[in-house]
Amino acid sequence: MKKILLSSTLCAVMAFGADVLPVEKRTFAQSKFIPDISLIMDMSYVDRSKKDHELEHLEVPGVAHGLLGSHSHDDHDHATYNASNGFNLNYAELVLSSSVDPFFTMDGVFHFSENGVEIEELYFTTTALGYGTRVKGGKFNSNFGYLNEQHHHYWDFTDMPLVYESFLGMHGINEKGAQFQWTAPTSTYLMLGAEVLQGENEQMFGNGEIDLTAIGGTEIEAADAPSLFIAYAKASFDIGDTTILGGLSYAQGKSRIDHMKDANAHAFSADSKIYGADLVIKHYFDSYSSLKWQSEWLMRDMDGKMYNAAKPNGVNLTKEQAGLYSQLIYAYDQNWKVGARYDTIYQNDVKTAGTNQNMPTNMDKYSAMIEYSTSEFARFRLQYDRNNALYNDNDVRQKIDTLTFQVNISIGAHGAHSF
Amino acid sequence: MNKFLLLLLPLSLFAHLNIAVSYPYIGALTKVIGGDHINSVVLAKGNWDPHFVVPRPSLISKVRSADALIMNGAQLEIGWLPPLIDRASNPKAKVGASTFLNLSHHVDLLHKPALVDRSGGDVHPDGNPHFHLNPENIKTLAKTIEKFLISIDIEHRSVYEKNYLEFEKMWSLKIEEWKEKMADKKGKKVIQFHDNLAYFNDAYGLVNIGTIEPLPGIPPSSRHTIDLIELIKKEKPCCILHDVYHSTKTAKFISSKSGIEIVLMPHDIEALENIGDLSSLFDYLTSAIK
Repeated sequence: MKKILLSSTLCAVMAFGADVLPVEKRTFAQSKFIPDISLIMDMSYVDRSKKDHELEHLEVPGVAHGLLGSHSHDDHDHATYNASNGFNLNYAELVLSSSVDPFFTMDGVFHFSENGVEIEELYFTTTALGYGTRVKGGKFNSNFGYLNEQHHHYWDFTDMPLVYESFLGMHGINEKGAQFQWTAPTSTYLMLGAEVLQGENEQMFGNGEIDLTAIGGTEIEAADAPSLFIAYAKASFDIGDTTILGGLSYAQGKSRIDHMKDANAHAFSADSKIYGADLVIKHYFDSYSSLKWQSEWLMRDMDGKMYNAAKPNGVNLTKEQAGLYSQLIYAYDQNWKVGARYDTIYQNDVKTAGTNQNMPTNMDKYSAMIEYSTSEFARFRLQYDRNNALYNDNDVRQKIDTLTFQVNISIGAHGAHSF
Repeated sequence: MNKFLLLLLPLSLFAHLNIAVSYPYIGALTKVIGGDHINSVVLAKGNWDPHFVVPRPSLISKVRSADALIMNGAQLEIGWLPPLIDRASNPKAKVGASTFLNLSHHVDLLHKPALVDRSGGDVHPDGNPHFHLNPENIKTLAKTIEKFLISIDIEHRSVYEKNYLEFEKMWSLKIEEWKEKMADKKGKKVIQFHDNLAYFNDAYGLVNIGTIEPLPGIPPSSRHTIDLIELIKKEKPCCILHDVYHSTKTAKFISSKSGIEIVLMPHDIEALENIGDLSSLFDYLTSAIK
């Protein structure tokens, strides 16, 4: 009797277990709350006129080094996008986003590379404040300028404009902090924004202390953090089927640039400012075809002290540098796009103890691209660059030709991009 | 001095409700029901592909200042409205607000795909979103908008009810007229570029047998075009019902090979120059097929 009872219970349990309920009827199932998830891969095949190791010590004199290829300092390996000849796996970008509650949304953007994982962005955004105001907190791409906020996969070229990458590095202004934005209640679009950021950009900003004992000095004191402050205004209007969007941006912060572990150990501490102006004009021929002209101008002003073995107690160093890029993109239809870009750094006044170092100017770069998208989710791009901005250790200008074939593929639910 | 003081008063004391809507047909319906008490602010242009609207910054200002937002839904706006809502950060124009209306939740959708996978093209997981092209649905949507306006502006309830009744009466007569006009078209086979007339075809018994795009959102391919020409020769559909925003290049090629007629079918108000309101849209659509 007992046996029968036991076996019939078992059967009932098995029958019940086998009958899987549809999702909406599972009492405690939470699968409907899964955030939007997307995964984007970016790969490239590169054919460059220089060997990889020749690139490592090239620099934009007085501005930046290590723009192309990969190099290491501070025990980290830094690879830029499309770093090596041949195949490059630039990244896998995982994006998660969802509303949190009636008051916030949250977005996370994770960059997986062969060197590890980086939290590219992780932030919450308010949705309920009203009056056209919005607050963002976390780590995010600053809304400085036009291109800075956009992710790499949304760019029209496979690399960053020369002036951006030289001044700010390949991630641009990507920082921990808080953002406040206000859209005016006017019929013409006007947005004002301000950001308080930690200020840890490797190429331009920093606030940590630097130990100078290796060159016979003492130390550069740490600056108070957060140390980077940004403000901008953007306005836009339409004339028929043409949209015009313009912006003015300003960033002010501290610089602490530590190259004490380099062969030629040196460090730079300064008060730094960047001024930016951007203009985008886009005309639509129909739903699928458009012509977009996008330009940005950046100028930076750094005023501080340089420390090296010859000057362990520092010498005054000022940098006034400016450059711009201007690009024209023609979308023929949903599949084909072509584009050209001009890049230049035309001002490069570097003064040591008041003496102009006569650094090279008119460093320029020319790019052209053609791309084919099979759908919104898969894009294949061929890009050619002539880069005249890099110099070798003997201060000889290099001319570098690069042909890049880029593949950018995405799956899952990825939010639409803003203008 | 008094005049100056008047200027300082908040504008909202005098103004109507500003209702932002995604497409012109929603704007027209909202205006019909709302009458003098509302302004409808249309975001997308009627002659453009409703799937691909550019999220221009000027539209952010329109959403930012809206007292309510009405959208089509069923993922038709997925590619352009979310970034506008996000940038505008207007609590009245966000998903879930009592002043936010998703029309697709109030009609029955056709062609909900059994398999949602992008290998099938740009599928709409909830079903075909072009539901406003069945005039019966317009009536349902008008009722939905009436209820919505009452819920956010109870004060003018009687006006909205009256406007709805007037519209419903006029529209019912028009429905009879269009039914008569289309009676002899029942069972006719048609080809489209994209299945955006699914609900129109459903209303009048037209049978869609193929599309010029091989899959939703995927541009025409030569292989598919050749197959389509074969299909047209075999099945003898009456015509290609073509939208106004895609190029008619492929359709003209198909027509030259098979002799099939191309009929331009507006999908919304302002899609063609002389289509200024909802009645003229359906007047045109029901007269287009000869």
